Amino acid sequence: MSISRSTKKRLRAIEICASEDSSIRAFTKTKSYLESLFPKAEVVVKLSPLRNLPTGKIDKLSHDLASARVKDISSPIHSFEPMSGEVDYESRALKGEAKLGGVVYDGRMFEDILMRHFFRKRSVETASIVYTDRLVSTFSRDDLRHHLRTVVCGFPSIISVPGVVEAPAKPREYYVAKQMLGPEGTGGLRSERLKTLMKGKFIDYGDPRSSLVLQGLALQAVVHHITLEEFCPNPQCRLFNAHWQEDLIRTQVDSPQFCAEHEALLSDLSRDPLIKW
Amino acid sequence: MPIFEKSSESSVTRAIVSQFAKDMEGFADTDVIVIGGGPSGLMAARDLALKKVKVLVVERNNYLGGGFWIGGFLMNTVTIRAPAQKVLDELEVKYKMYEKGLYMTPGPLACSKLIASACEAGVSILNMTKFDDVVLREKNRVAGAVVNWTPVDALPRQITCVDPVALESKLVIDSTGHDAMVVKKLEERGLIKTPGFGAMWIEKSEDAVVEHTGFCHPGLIVTGMAVSTTFGLPRMGPTFGSMLLSGRKGAKVAYEHLKKH
Repeated sequence: MSISRSTKKRLRAIEICASEDSSIRAFTKTKSYLESLFPKAEVVVKLSPLRNLPTGKIDKLSHDLASARVKDISSPIHSFEPMSGEVDYESRALKGEAKLGGVVYDGRMFEDILMRHFFRKRSVETASIVYTDRLVSTFSRDDLRHHLRTVVCGFPSIISVPGVVEAPAKPREYYVAKQMLGPEGTGGLRSERLKTLMKGKFIDYGDPRSSLVLQGLALQAVVHHITLEEFCPNPQCRLFNAHWQEDLIRTQVDSPQFCAEHEALLSDLSRDPLIKW
Repeated sequence: MPIFEKSSESSVTRAIVSQFAKDMEGFADTDVIVIGGGPSGLMAARDLALKKVKVLVVERNNYLGGGFWIGGFLMNTVTIRAPAQKVLDELEVKYKMYEKGLYMTPGPLACSKLIASACEAGVSILNMTKFDDVVLREKNRVAGAVVNWTPVDALPRQITCVDPVALESKLVIDSTGHDAMVVKKLEERGLIKTPGFGAMWIEKSEDAVVEHTGFCHPGLIVTGMAVSTTFGLPRMGPTFGSMLLSGRKGAKVAYEHLKKH
């Protein structure tokens, strides 16, 4: 996707794709939220592109998805031939016969797969956001390892629903308590106890606060689409990229505000959503 | 008046040897060989045997059950998350609810009942026997296992010229835990590439183990923690529920395959 600097492009539409296991209705509030911020753009919600696929598409896609699995968290992903069991799992997952979970996909490869299979013909005037029930990561050059992500901004942007729970680190006391509560063999027991002990201090599966977080992440994706800028460095701004659950809850749930700079930007964009590349 | 009937050393020896020879002849060609007699392997073998499938469990120890005898930290309580407690109901294992969805039972009770149930279902056991290699057929399909006595490994190198024997089967199930010994053997031969990436705390690891249970290579099914190693799934978190349900799913996949072929 490229854009001429001399051509003024405007954001005409925001396309939200529900996660694999979600309905369109689950994203009604996200749609309304984005409509309130970008009244000049049409916001549409669709079912996941990874649902209801023809068999031929499933065969190709399942191989591609199996190839996007992160197999070594300490090195960038490289191409490999997936095992037949991995391809089979992806095929079953695409048909709705296997639950998603426990597998980490390289965010950039996942984006590339979505682009190649579903979004190639989108114009730059449409910001596409794909929610997914898969975990995604990107490799960090800072510490040379993969990190789970809540959002991978791109074309399309990817928002990981389980990533809201798994990606940002939990409070420090959670990890201390985890060490003290015993060995790995009693993992199920320990996990349940920890949740009781730390109730409310991190977003858990089924937590009603996650819908607000998912809205904020969608906004981050749209702002990235318009500006190509990565997140806001201000830890009080809703466009801040939270690495801790504490920051995520503060910026997205308890106090979802914008810094002065982004407040002004969003005000401008609400009048004229000019793409600023 | 003696309590026991009269017998002799030679009769006892003949009884053991003749039965073993008869069993071994049957083991040479079975429907399914399960490598590893832990909870997932026993569960898979039991469910298959209940469907009249001829199944052999190869176990390297002289006892079955693997890690199912004890919970964490050498403590006897094993934990099982719903819905796997339904398997305990089937095995007639008593358990207590620790909290909603989480159940506890003594490891020795659950393990011994599972072993008994597998044996009663008709599972054959070859214990003190280690998996050595795979039997391969067309397109590198796994079609059996090469095994040897476990004590052979403990012998001095100069007297270990003890050749193994090969057992043929329609399918092999790798239930060898984190070692994933059968899968690793295929990897040694360059037929498969496992990720081998370690622990990552993810809530859904138990689900992932069950969901990934199935074929990983033609003729080879993986169950239990071998699934985790084979597919690079997160290792932390699983309690024994996923081992039982993974074994059950492995049996289902194997049975459906046997019916088709």
